Amino acid sequence: MATPQTSAQVPVTVLTGYLGAGKTTLLNRILSEQHGKKYAVIVNEFGELGVDNDLVVNADEEVFEMNNGCICCTVRGDLIRIIEGLMKRKDKFDGILVETTGLADPGPVAQTFFTDEDVKARTRLDAIVTVIDAKHFFGQLEQGAEAEQQVAFADVILLNKTDLVSADELAKVEDRIRGINRYARIFHTQNSQIALDAILDKGAFDLGRILEFEPDFLHSGHDHHHEDEVRSLSITADRPVDPDKFQKWMGALLQIKGGDIFRSKGILAIDGAPRRYVYQGVHMMMDSDWGTPWKDGEKRSSKLVFIGRSLDGDNLQRGFDDCLK
Amino acid sequence: MKIDLANPAWQQTLPPARSLATDAPVAACAFNRDGTTVAFALGDGCIRLLPADVKAAAPDAAVPLHKGVVLSIVGDPAGDGFVSGGDDGRVLRIAADGTATELLAQKGKWFEHLVAHKTGAVAASAGKSMFLLRDGEVREFGPHPSTVAGLDFSKDGSRVACAHYGGITVWSLSKDVTLPPRRFAWQGSHVALRWSTDGKFIATGTQENDIHVWRVAQATDMRMQGYPAKVKSLSWTADARYLYTSSQPVFTAWPFAGKGPEGKPPLQFGDEGAGLMTVVAAHPSAEFVAGGYDSGELQLGDIRTRRSVVLKMADGAAITCLAWSPDGFKLAVGNDRGDLLTIDLRR
Ligand SMILES: [Zn+2]
Repeated sequence: MATPQTSAQVPVTVLTGYLGAGKTTLLNRILSEQHGKKYAVIVNEFGELGVDNDLVVNADEEVFEMNNGCICCTVRGDLIRIIEGLMKRKDKFDGILVETTGLADPGPVAQTFFTDEDVKARTRLDAIVTVIDAKHFFGQLEQGAEAEQQVAFADVILLNKTDLVSADELAKVEDRIRGINRYARIFHTQNSQIALDAILDKGAFDLGRILEFEPDFLHSGHDHHHEDEVRSLSITADRPVDPDKFQKWMGALLQIKGGDIFRSKGILAIDGAPRRYVYQGVHMMMDSDWGTPWKDGEKRSSKLVFIGRSLDGDNLQRGFDDCLK
Repeated sequence: MKIDLANPAWQQTLPPARSLATDAPVAACAFNRDGTTVAFALGDGCIRLLPADVKAAAPDAAVPLHKGVVLSIVGDPAGDGFVSGGDDGRVLRIAADGTATELLAQKGKWFEHLVAHKTGAVAASAGKSMFLLRDGEVREFGPHPSTVAGLDFSKDGSRVACAHYGGITVWSLSKDVTLPPRRFAWQGSHVALRWSTDGKFIATGTQENDIHVWRVAQATDMRMQGYPAKVKSLSWTADARYLYTSSQPVFTAWPFAGKGPEGKPPLQFGDEGAGLMTVVAAHPSAEFVAGGYDSGELQLGDIRTRRSVVLKMADGAAITCLAWSPDGFKLAVGNDRGDLLTIDLRR
């Protein structure tokens, strides 16, 4: 059964970031500010959260593989269960905040909102917010894939503890972040101090607002990338897209490269269609819909964005070019 | 029990019922052991106790017994009242007069699932553990590979099966002999579990919208596919000949008599209701079955004649729970808007 996309869906904000980056401070800020809103907070360990009005739920991150035999197709089983339980409450929430552990891959959290019908019916993923410790970011990149993944998945990045590094160091960190993900909005913060409207109700996964944010290309200095590095790129086309060819190409691409493609989104000018076709995906999971109509005389161009590992931009562009009329 | 769904009276007038409106979603409902009282577990921490007699006056609204949501409730198999579990991490014994005693507390955990057995035992799950409450004692079983998402007693009450990620675990409850648990593996997350009324089969619903069934003695298994949603409600008929499953637009029963359901389609009957069935409950003794829909519709079916009647029209509030009285004459129904309905089928 189709799940109606109504405003009754509770927005969910995912907070990721390494241990010590400032997630708990940010959570405390969100919860203690006088915003008159009520949040449910899902945390892995009861930290020092100063909450009276809000509800804190303790969860073990239970990452479940889907039964399709693919290792990238995972969901957070605990999240599915907790969201179902929260919806049984008489008191409703204005939002849900999910704090992941420091070493969490944001993939399973995001995919939960793409695959589970019950979760999709009741909630919507609003944005992934990643908090980064400016001083320790490079060290954390060395420790494993997680720091890179957390940046790659982010819609909003808090480059935190800027007071602990020099302007030069900060520029290097930001440059590295931009090299991984040039589509996230970056805010420089100290003590996770940020205006709430910068991180809440962003609609980053709203198909109607896909690619609303055009990155500042002046900042994309980091182009000498290595083979297996995580980075982001976009490809474009000015000729109309053949929908069947595109579907086939994208299907095959995700089948083969889905594990390496963390996020993807796009706006397509489908041949003969009066409206934009918009889609977004996390690994192999996709959502798509018809977007706003093209205006008379408007230039109908298509744009695809990929954030992932070992992306070959030329190869992707060639594949996409083959889908054009 | 005489219920003839072909009788036009069933199509024209509804049987006697009592409906009470509250403002909290109903998570679960149950009758007590002797069928005199019905309890509704609510999303504001209250447990509403009502006389099962639909003509008796309803007492005033209850006070909250749990701090958050009452997630589960069963008739107390060792008393006249009920046993409840909440997201406040507590299991309570509720006496017939509504007074509560704490049986178990697990800080920060949710008691989502409770089952009772007529021997007087109650099994509760919270997080990765299962707790057995029997003869005033509490025993913990686990941890399981993930949070327990469904559990049930065997027919004789000597074992409990728990559903989790990667399969199910069957625990022997004997105090004298400690047996290792039996693990039945099947990939993926199992989100509901019911042990057949003859003890031979254990059925689960999975995250991937399938049903999985194990033959307990042989440890062989089977899978039923083709559901458009997760099957979170499973119900075996009293004679164990059929397993009813939710998440279809009609009553859907897999035949388990004889050689079992392999290679056979399920028996499907009833009006194609508005929406999908969210809860299904086989009658405790006869061939009837009740099904509640996400649209609010409620149907009563008879598997012998394949007839069904609509007991409640769709009103947009999804039915969340159903319970038959022990004698099978009354049916309790709750929905996600807070309506508490009790129907007396003796018309
Ligand atoms: Zn995959």
